[in-house]
Amino acid sequence: MPTDPDAPQDIAPLPPARADLESLDAAARAAAARAVRPSAGALGAFDELLKAPQQLVERGAAGGSLSTARWLALGALVCAALYGAVAGLFQGGAQIAVAALKAPLVIALSLALCLPSLYILTALAGAALPRRLFVYLVAGFAGTLALLLVALLPIAWLFSVSSRSLSSAVWLQVIAWIVAAGFGVRFLGRSLAQRTGRRVVALWFFLFLLVSFQVATYLRPVLWRAPGAPLFARGKMSFFEHLDEVYRFEEAREKAEAAARAAAAAKPAADARAATAAPIPPPPR
Amino acid sequence: MTGTASHWSLILARRDELADDLAQGRRLLSHWAGASMVMAAGAAVYGLVLGMWHGTVLTLYVAVKLPLVLLLTSALTMLLSYVVAVLLGLGLRFGQVANLTSLALASASLLLASLAPVAWLFTVSLPEPSTAARLAHNLLYLLHTGLVGACGLVGCAVLWRGLQRMRPGAANLRAVFAAWVLAFALVGGEVAWALRPFVGSVYYPVAFVRRDALHGNVYEFIFTEIVPYLWSRR
Repeated sequence: MPTDPDAPQDIAPLPPARADLESLDAAARAAAARAVRPSAGALGAFDELLKAPQQLVERGAAGGSLSTARWLALGALVCAALYGAVAGLFQGGAQIAVAALKAPLVIALSLALCLPSLYILTALAGAALPRRLFVYLVAGFAGTLALLLVALLPIAWLFSVSSRSLSSAVWLQVIAWIVAAGFGVRFLGRSLAQRTGRRVVALWFFLFLLVSFQVATYLRPVLWRAPGAPLFARGKMSFFEHLDEVYRFEEAREKAEAAARAAAAAKPAADARAATAAPIPPPPR
Repeated sequence: MTGTASHWSLILARRDELADDLAQGRRLLSHWAGASMVMAAGAAVYGLVLGMWHGTVLTLYVAVKLPLVLLLTSALTMLLSYVVAVLLGLGLRFGQVANLTSLALASASLLLASLAPVAWLFTVSLPEPSTAARLAHNLLYLLHTGLVGACGLVGCAVLWRGLQRMRPGAANLRAVFAAWVLAFALVGGEVAWALRPFVGSVYYPVAFVRRDALHGNVYEFIFTEIVPYLWSRR
């Protein structure tokens, strides 16, 4: 039966091609992510990061509001300050405040120094990230790291108040830092897995760790400060030398303690010898 | 006491009911409180035997301190356990994490309490504490370490089964389990060290906690006082 091609036809539209479907799907997801209200306040932002991290990333990818990212960044600094204060309990006193000030500085400076390389590495690996998504990823990384630091607070408190040697306190902080940063990088890896693969993130993690160790050395002393020493030590030093200095400090302290113990043990013997060697008083007349 | 007894039976005989409640997130607070009481009671019973070699005072101290070790370690590691579980995608609620942990500890404590008569037999069979009784002290130490360690392994098995039941086939289940056990073991070691003595030394007087309880952690002790001498000929 001949049909008029210009006549209106009451037929179903043809199904779109696969690529069209994907773009429709992506557009719908982007619209949905934009429509999701950003979490209220720092607690809401951290709750979302903990329970639905991908939602954050999707909001970033959809060009959503930056308020959640701001809360995460700010919250991360506060959490780091709290963790620093607890780490400062190793020495106690003013060092609590000093460590509370320096811990967020370590995170902020390390991130600032490593962000360009993260951007370039991901771009070279094939993912030119939109600005907002990049901001969300970095805030998510810092937020996850901070979440772990807060989760480790009670344990850090226990070891800070009970550890005696500086080297063990340093190693405790190094391990806690690697665990926390590891989870932060896991967030990055999962968010970027589709775009860049995980190798790039693993490489950047290694770089971030090295940089953060050096930043901590640059901002030394963090955990222990000699009486009267300045807030920031002068002189250049690599973090390897810094670690070596910690061990040398330990050795010197142990030697001093051993000498003090030996002197204390020798004192009664010396007193006894002195008593026997003392001239016998003349008999009373 | 009735609560403790009913939770006792819940843990030993009606585990399916308990597991269903935990999976559905029902009565989490009451289950946690019950399991914690069972844990404290079981650990206190074993504590009575653990401290008895050194007399009544240490017996009473350890009956308080052993439950305290478990409760403190739980409190210190709970937040980390929850965050790790959520970040690794298990999606557990804080109450569920607290219940899984306390259920494992309660099971281990119940088994430990059931082994108290065995430990009692060895304790009363050994010579009284004195500087000459170092061998007896060391044997008791080994015995208690072995029994507590074995009960800890059983607690781990309960925890693993609970996790599997709560999130069957979930990815990262092993990683979460390993992280929980590792954190608990490392922190528990330090808490127990800070609250020493338990068996009681043959050199030092009995005390609730030693004056130098927080002067050096257990890992410093291991790495400075034990490890260097393992290869030494002296």
